[in-house]
Amino acid sequence: MIVAERKPMEEIVEMLAPYKKVLVLGCGGCVAVCLTGGERQAEMLASQLRILARRQDRQASFTEDCITRQCEREFFDDLNENVEDFDAVLSLACGAGVQYMSEVFPSVPILPAMNTTFLGSNVAPGKWDEYCRGCGDCVLAWTGGICPITKCSKSLINGTCGGTNNGKCEVNDEMDCGWLLIYKRLKELGRLDEYRKLRPARDHRKDRGGGVRRLILSEMTEEEEEAAQ
Amino acid sequence: MQDRDLTTKELAGLESTTELMEQTWAPCRYACPVHADVRGYVELISQGRWREAIDLIRDRLPFASVCGRICHHPCETNCRRGDVDEPVAIREVKRFVSELQGAAGATVFKAASQDKAQVAIVGSGPAGMSAALELARLGYRPTVFEKFPVAGGIPATAIPRYRLPREVLQQDVDWICAHGVTVRTSVEIGRDKTIADLKADGFEAVLIAAGLADSRMLDIKGADHDRVYPAVKFLTSLAFDEPVEIGQAVLIIGGGDVAMDAARTALRMGARSVVAMCLENEEEMPALKWEQQEALEEGVSFIHRRGPVEIVVEGGAIKSVKARKVLRVFDEEKRFNPTYDDSDTIDVECDTVIMAIGQKADYGFAESGDLRFDERGRLVFNQATHQTSESGVFACGEIITPPGSVVEACASGRRAALAVDMHLSNREIVIDDALPPEIDEIPADIADKVPQVARCVVKAQPPDRRIKNFDEIDYNLSADEAMRESRRCLLCGGGAEVLVDKCVACLTCLRICPFDVPRVTDVARIESQLCQACGMCIGECPNNAIVARGWDVGDLAARTKATLAALQADKKIIAFVCGHHASQSAWSAKPGDTIDGLGEVYLPSMSRLSAAEILHVFESGAAGVLVIACEDGTDRYPKTTQRIARRVAQAQEMLAEIGVSADLLKLVNCANQGRDTLRRALAEGAEAIRAC
Repeated sequence: MIVAERKPMEEIVEMLAPYKKVLVLGCGGCVAVCLTGGERQAEMLASQLRILARRQDRQASFTEDCITRQCEREFFDDLNENVEDFDAVLSLACGAGVQYMSEVFPSVPILPAMNTTFLGSNVAPGKWDEYCRGCGDCVLAWTGGICPITKCSKSLINGTCGGTNNGKCEVNDEMDCGWLLIYKRLKELGRLDEYRKLRPARDHRKDRGGGVRRLILSEMTEEEEEAAQ
Repeated sequence: MQDRDLTTKELAGLESTTELMEQTWAPCRYACPVHADVRGYVELISQGRWREAIDLIRDRLPFASVCGRICHHPCETNCRRGDVDEPVAIREVKRFVSELQGAAGATVFKAASQDKAQVAIVGSGPAGMSAALELARLGYRPTVFEKFPVAGGIPATAIPRYRLPREVLQQDVDWICAHGVTVRTSVEIGRDKTIADLKADGFEAVLIAAGLADSRMLDIKGADHDRVYPAVKFLTSLAFDEPVEIGQAVLIIGGGDVAMDAARTALRMGARSVVAMCLENEEEMPALKWEQQEALEEGVSFIHRRGPVEIVVEGGAIKSVKARKVLRVFDEEKRFNPTYDDSDTIDVECDTVIMAIGQKADYGFAESGDLRFDERGRLVFNQATHQTSESGVFACGEIITPPGSVVEACASGRRAALAVDMHLSNREIVIDDALPPEIDEIPADIADKVPQVARCVVKAQPPDRRIKNFDEIDYNLSADEAMRESRRCLLCGGGAEVLVDKCVACLTCLRICPFDVPRVTDVARIESQLCQACGMCIGECPNNAIVARGWDVGDLAARTKATLAALQADKKIIAFVCGHHASQSAWSAKPGDTIDGLGEVYLPSMSRLSAAEILHVFESGAAGVLVIACEDGTDRYPKTTQRIARRVAQAQEMLAEIGVSADLLKLVNCANQGRDTLRRALAEGAEAIRAC
């Protein structure tokens, strides 16, 4: 799931400075699951902002609300508030939600309360680790389930760089060398043959190099249906 | 059993989440013959809310004070706390609050106007009086006719004073009468007035609640001797201070509660030897176990499995009772069908015999009436509608039900009143007896996780001192004891309810529940039979997707806001105090205790206080917040200390982010250390915050 962290308060305060009437909007998607952007967090953030406004003697109103997800149009129908009544929306959704909401409500500034960080897993209560960079060309089948794009600082695809120091990465010595982890795992699995295979250079068009990516499932699209009629 | 799913929409349609408590009933409420909201009033007692507690009790139970002394408490027998350690002493805490409040301290819910028909009730026992109360509340004008000079029925005439002091019964009678119930004592229907007279006097309905006023007697040789007493008559004579002569060696025939009462009364009258002889063995004896125990302690001896065949009289005095061996009391179909061995007889020496083999009705009220009786001489009646064969004449209580307890009589009386009301309103008498399902048992793996707390000890007089008089044999709980005992309640069915359309299955509730109750499949599933109602998950849920059944989650915020608004000070401070060890406080400071500018908000446990609520207090204008929690291991629920510490730390961080000093939010772990320490912590905490 997408993991996002709340931005430092100074940044939020700065981006809110021009606005008097703000909707603080939580999201019941990934950010609620990682306990940073759900309805409760929206409630608490709005509370903080009200306390701050009072302390600064600033006239500003903060209303909280939350919908199931901010990355799908239909859920905006569930809003208790009318977005156009506000000067700005402070969204606790991930970057996708913030941008999508911007498109749905182009006349209202949608501000990000969060820094969207990574695709990750909840490895222990209160702890989330990055696992995936969304490279669009998954090689986990050949690397024993460990991602070299994510776990290797250089995102190499054909083994270690030679800079491994006692199992740690030369770029960030607190990090395990991703390829050493892959090697050990493949050994455990008895699949070192995969390690020996030479992988061709990656097609970066599948990654960021190709611009904005898109998924289309033609069995679900509506434009084609209309065109067909 | 499966709970129903709750959605946001459904929740919005409720006035309060407590309505969800009607979906399943806790076993105490289910087992109670009048279905009092036991969990509800036990919780109120745990918070020192005496008036609300007694009002809730009396909403269903008119004889609250009497039952506080003598109820057979099916609630306790079924209490789920019994699967953890011991049942909550519900009768004792009820006794505490009903006697503390008395008749004057319980609200009288009088009808706006009492202008409906006059109804005559025959008998002022629990059934008759409960019916009268219900009728008065419905706007009728009930008059209760009682043949004895005192109102109350068996509790007044045949329950010994050491079990039920007169003043206690009077509390209930007075409270009932205050609702507009007229009681006319020393008027015997059938002798002074007939049912026909009552109808002629203008009573549009008559309700027979005459009970089982007579004792059954054995038709054996010698039973007509002067010193052979029917038990009820024996007890009644004493109740009215009439002289009763007994000898030194008293034999009680019977194994029920009346037999125990008679036996223990005989001891108090000075008999040197009191023996109770019954057909049953120890396990089969119908008397309540604790009554048998108390009788034994006081010196009553028992002879089991014997049936009397002759009372041997010699020289005009009773010499002994000849009794034969009982082989078996109940047959294969569990019916009372004793078989004997006539060749095996013993002679039990005695000079007085009291027959306590059961009670029967006195049908004197039926004199010159149209009431019909069956081939066994019993009153003909309709079980569903309480109607007798005579138009406008109804019956309730032991005269038509099997012999029962006070609370069962109350239930019967109330039901009959509803029937009378339907009849007098020209409606068909259809009474819905349906109940919600009962909550399931608590499984062992959950019960094991509940911290054990010993049940309160009721102090009793030592047996050898008890038998010297008719003074009450045990003492009331103190307020502290009553509160502590009530806090053992598991609040069955009152716990977390997931809003299935809001839950994001983040697993947080599953992770922090101290009892391992939530299961997350599609969404979190928290079974009401398992949840211990600690509220910890509600305090954490990131999408506000959990509410509580037993309390309104928004209540705390509302209460806090109101407390804050009422404070007069420049720097207002709110203190959240864990009430689990709070003694005698009515969930707020007593007058004379108050610290200027400090508002105290008590909670049953800090598990219910969330970081969001702490922030809201600052938002509402508080200059500072104190959180007074318990020391680790003394909380009502496990892991509360750790959880509240984290929540306070989180709130402190969030306050620091907006420039509010962390010193303005303080956590002190001393709520369990007694009143003085608590008051000191509050005063010092308030001072420290003001100094910031």
